[in-house]
Amino acid sequence: MKMPSKTVALLLAGALAFGLAGCGNSDSSSSGSGASGDSGDKTKITFQNIYPDPTTPTYKMIHQIVDQYEKEHPNIDIELDTLNTDQQKLKLKTQAASKEIPDITIVNPAAQMKPYIDAGLLAPLNDVVDKGGLKDTYQEGLLDYYSKDGNVYALPDGNNIEVGFYNKALFAKAGIAAPPTTFDELLADVKKLKDAGITPIAIGEKDSWTGSFLFMNILLRTNGGPGFLQDVADGKKTFNDPAFVEAVDAFQKLVQAGAFPEGATSIDATAGGNMFRTGQAAMFFIGTWETGANDGSTIGKDVSVFKFPTVNGKGNPDEFMLAPGSAFAVSANSEHLKETKDFLNYFALNLPKVSFELKNAVGLGQKVDGDFKAAGYSPLAIDVLDLFKNVKGGDLSFDNTMNPAVSQVHLSSIQSLFVQQVDPKQIAQEHQAAFEANP
Amino acid sequence: MNVLKVPARTIAIFVLPCLILYIGTVFIPILVSFYTAMLDWNGISDAKFVGLANFKTLLFDDPNFWMSVKRTIMYAVFSIIEIPICLLFAILLNRYIRKGNRLVTIYFVPVILSNVILGQLWKTIYNPASMGGMLNGVLIKLGLDSWTHSWLTEPAIAMYAIYFVSLWQYFGYHLLIQFTGVQNIPDEIYEAAKIDGADGFKADRYITFPMVVPIFKISVVLAFIGSLQAFELVMVMTGGGPAHATDTIATHMYNMSFLSQKYGYGSAVATFLVIFCLVITVVINGVFNKIERKVT
Repeated sequence: MKMPSKTVALLLAGALAFGLAGCGNSDSSSSGSGASGDSGDKTKITFQNIYPDPTTPTYKMIHQIVDQYEKEHPNIDIELDTLNTDQQKLKLKTQAASKEIPDITIVNPAAQMKPYIDAGLLAPLNDVVDKGGLKDTYQEGLLDYYSKDGNVYALPDGNNIEVGFYNKALFAKAGIAAPPTTFDELLADVKKLKDAGITPIAIGEKDSWTGSFLFMNILLRTNGGPGFLQDVADGKKTFNDPAFVEAVDAFQKLVQAGAFPEGATSIDATAGGNMFRTGQAAMFFIGTWETGANDGSTIGKDVSVFKFPTVNGKGNPDEFMLAPGSAFAVSANSEHLKETKDFLNYFALNLPKVSFELKNAVGLGQKVDGDFKAAGYSPLAIDVLDLFKNVKGGDLSFDNTMNPAVSQVHLSSIQSLFVQQVDPKQIAQEHQAAFEANP
Repeated sequence: MNVLKVPARTIAIFVLPCLILYIGTVFIPILVSFYTAMLDWNGISDAKFVGLANFKTLLFDDPNFWMSVKRTIMYAVFSIIEIPICLLFAILLNRYIRKGNRLVTIYFVPVILSNVILGQLWKTIYNPASMGGMLNGVLIKLGLDSWTHSWLTEPAIAMYAIYFVSLWQYFGYHLLIQFTGVQNIPDEIYEAAKIDGADGFKADRYITFPMVVPIFKISVVLAFIGSLQAFELVMVMTGGGPAHATDTIATHMYNMSFLSQKYGYGSAVATFLVIFCLVITVVINGVFNKIERKVT
């Protein structure tokens, strides 16, 4: 006879398979802000962070400073809640929905942190930056991206700009003498590289912010300077503005010239970066946060940087896409607000020194004392630091300026340019419609 | 049916733990999402009650939504078309292969693998030839260069590429269910039928088909509901892109809630999905009740 237990086992297996299909995001309550009174008299501070990879200097940095602080303050217990960037964003949103965010967490500048400030979840940190001269360590104007109504709400872990990394060896192979300074030169170089069988520009457009980040450079040029999105937000311009249409058109030309890898929209950001770092692609437009990774790769010695070229004769190459980093914020409802603030002050004061020693001080938001060359920083790092010296302002990324709903329309709109030719005016209209529908 | 004389209180004690768990983890969250669907809420700041406005936008003013519904339904249709094929295979395996269950076990392997692994695997297979994609590589070797595509990034075909992976993955799953169903039909019935002159296809027509209808129904319902919730494969392989060309209802819900930060609107999509699932389940049950009555 046939065994009924087989049917049962089958159904159980089925239940298991489908049970996995749920997409809930219930949090394991690992980071409850409850004071654990039973663990001695220690004050527990939960520090949510996005430095999960033990091989990176940021991971070493946070552990070094935290260990040091716990040694000096035996009554403080700092619990690290370590996640990767996307997980942390999601977790924080879930926690915010129930108004239970960890003592210290990570937020992103400007428009992205605004909802948290508006909801009263973040504590003003004016007293933190005033203590020990912390405020003066930050670069001029940087804290503005994390402030509202005269209050500072978060302390950035970095300040980067977007540059073009390029592979000198591949450029030489394609017969290109110098990196492009105009958009037409860029298009010509793309053709030369393609003819030499080299992918011209690495990108990971499955993560659609990468394409947008590149596109925004073009807009920064065609607009003849920064502030386009702000003007739209303020009602002084619309997305139908010629500058925007021209930027879409230029970007489209780049795509049509075959600048990007085949199937770019299914490559994720990490894989995109690896195309450059394994010598498959000749250029890579990305934030200077990738400096260390590019440096440490097999093509490290061939990598150099250039500024984004002018477009149709417009724009100033010394204006950059600015990427003020993710930042440390403190929960307004923290049960140990004073201790948390004291710790954060200590942390931020020590961050530059420790990062410098770990050779990770390129793109910090704070001034660093020390001789980079003498400390053994690579030629690429020194090149990047030189670019920083010439920065004459610029724009923030699209999703740091516009609200999430408009940003999503923008991101998928730019993504669509990778797979089909669209009338630039239509793209502009799509943006405008989304902007009007999501004030 | 024999009914045991058990006091109601005993029944309650046995049923209660499960019931509480079910109500707490399924029923209440669904009700809560009905409520949040009526809010204008970014998930962080205070919410504003807007009544049915989200549903109005969803149904009348969101082209991406209807496209994602269409894709989801196609997903389900393909999954259901697969089941008769699985049944056919199950019958053949049961009849002509000794120890067919070993083969079935092999077919079942993709079901055990995580969707994320499968997605990554097929993503590499689908890659353009310039990036070492296996499928395109094979096509080129066969001299079919004109057939090569960038499978996951051409809006017109990307979704079909995903359907295919899903069908491939769940083939073994439904085959196993159908195979078990076919195996559970007692041999005596076939023997009796043989004496009466019914053999081969005739026996299938009058014995196998009617007797596997209940099992067939299980497969259909599972396939349908599984497809409606299609999420991980899409997320891993394309993320709903390029430009929404592979969005399903579930990924649309995710985009709206977590990326566009419109929790209320995302909940409205979720509510639609729940109601849709319920309606379809009732319809399928009705259809099968009719079929069962007809064939038995």
